[in-house]
Amino acid sequence: MKLTNLELVFVGVALTAIMMLGTTNIRTNLSLYRWHTMLIAVSSGWIGYLRAEPVFHWLGIALMIAGAKAWFAPWFLSQIMRKVEVQNDSAVFIPTALAMHIGIALLALSYPLAQTLPSVLNQPGGSIGATVALSLISTGMLLMVTRHIAVSQVMGFLVIENGIYLISLTQTRGMPLNIEMGVLLDLLVAVMVTGLLLFRIKKNFEHIDVAKLNELRD
Amino acid sequence: MNIALKWMVLISCVVFIPPLLIGLIRKTKARLQGRIGASICQPIFDLAKLFAKDELLSEISNGMLRSASVVSASVAVLIALSSPWLPGMPVLFHSDIFIFVYLFALLRFFTVLSALDTASAFGAFAASREVTIAVLVEPAVMLCFIALAVVAGTTDLSAIFAFTADNLSIYPGLWAMAGCGLYLASLVELSRMPADDPTTHLELTMVHEAMIIENSGPNLALVEYASALKMLILMGLSGQCFLHATTAVLKLHHTIYSLGGLLALFVMVGFIAVIESTSVKLRWTKLPEFIAYAVTFGLLCAMYSLGTLR
Repeated sequence: MKLTNLELVFVGVALTAIMMLGTTNIRTNLSLYRWHTMLIAVSSGWIGYLRAEPVFHWLGIALMIAGAKAWFAPWFLSQIMRKVEVQNDSAVFIPTALAMHIGIALLALSYPLAQTLPSVLNQPGGSIGATVALSLISTGMLLMVTRHIAVSQVMGFLVIENGIYLISLTQTRGMPLNIEMGVLLDLLVAVMVTGLLLFRIKKNFEHIDVAKLNELRD
Repeated sequence: MNIALKWMVLISCVVFIPPLLIGLIRKTKARLQGRIGASICQPIFDLAKLFAKDELLSEISNGMLRSASVVSASVAVLIALSSPWLPGMPVLFHSDIFIFVYLFALLRFFTVLSALDTASAFGAFAASREVTIAVLVEPAVMLCFIALAVVAGTTDLSAIFAFTADNLSIYPGLWAMAGCGLYLASLVELSRMPADDPTTHLELTMVHEAMIIENSGPNLALVEYASALKMLILMGLSGQCFLHATTAVLKLHHTIYSLGGLLALFVMVGFIAVIESTSVKLRWTKLPEFIAYAVTFGLLCAMYSLGTLR
């Protein structure tokens, strides 16, 4: 299994997502997420370039992902973190070290799983891309499930979204520009809405610990 | 270059470079803190001074303290002469990865014995910490080496790290991940910053420093030299991993890699100083999480190397 340079970028994407499982510090998590999404932006621009798409398409997509997902979303979340005064995930359901190793096991599991996908066409980096995409979805779910603080849930959601984007990138002929723009816009709205929601939760309950949110209150 | 000249170069490197690495770390840290700092050669003078000093031995000690430091220094020299920490240099015997790892374990065993020998409470708790850390770190180092050995098809360390093997240079990702894993594991193994603060003598934080607290004079010099030699070997190997990762894009004549390996060694050691200046020591209970990163890289390497077998 000799990896091409593009596939190495995909491996980097999976690696940074798995490392997000390994720390409970929100700032470190956000900067890891930034690197993770920058690598996604690089790989999507690269794939568009390899498929000889129009310049404004692949460059535009890469720049929009870098601007909206890699810069704006983490910045917005860090602002929220400063407002609600939370820096650390106080408790986790699974110890972070174990979560990281489970993440690797899931990455290993997604390789045979990705081979069973009906390969639409022989894309560059198709098989490893699908492996990484499936592992991103499971990593994001693990991130959502194991954490107590609501911000980590948002980050897990963003990682899952990246995984779904990577599947559409590597397994199809690419999407039209306006659909990609629409998805990005939806994502931004989702991040902003969850930001506002975090505010409200903090105001009503004086914490954002989802483990304690299972009781109704008026 | 003929073989006698190579041996002379290697032996002078083994004698003089380890103190220079310590000096480089101290100098870099001083510059980053805005001080001038002592000269890079200062640790050499320190070692010479310690060798000339008298030795003070605890009454309780039954001599294990003295013999253990000699044993650990000689084991460190043996590892340095038999492992390919500098590419292109001859080796005393072809070291297996398992021999390599367990010679390190032997070195640690004797350091722990000497710490227990004086019956000081500091030595005992530092020894217990050291062994706890060792248990956690060993899988990471082993996984990285085994992954490389699987791809190379041999467990001979010199063959794995030879720059002539073409079947290894096509996996830059494997080399980079193995390099990261080895580097993180060696930071813990060498008792450097995120795991242990080598500059403070505060009893609650010390691991390595508390173990050698009863050593003095030539005894202390031998132990410090052995730990510097350990740094030379581990940093040399992890630097070479990154150097191997570059061979996929850039093929040079293999004699240049000897100089490149030396350069990589100094860069890696300089990076330790940068980490020590910018990060804080982890709490003892957080240490397993840090080591988990090294194990993670090891597991990824192992997965990758299994993928290459298909």
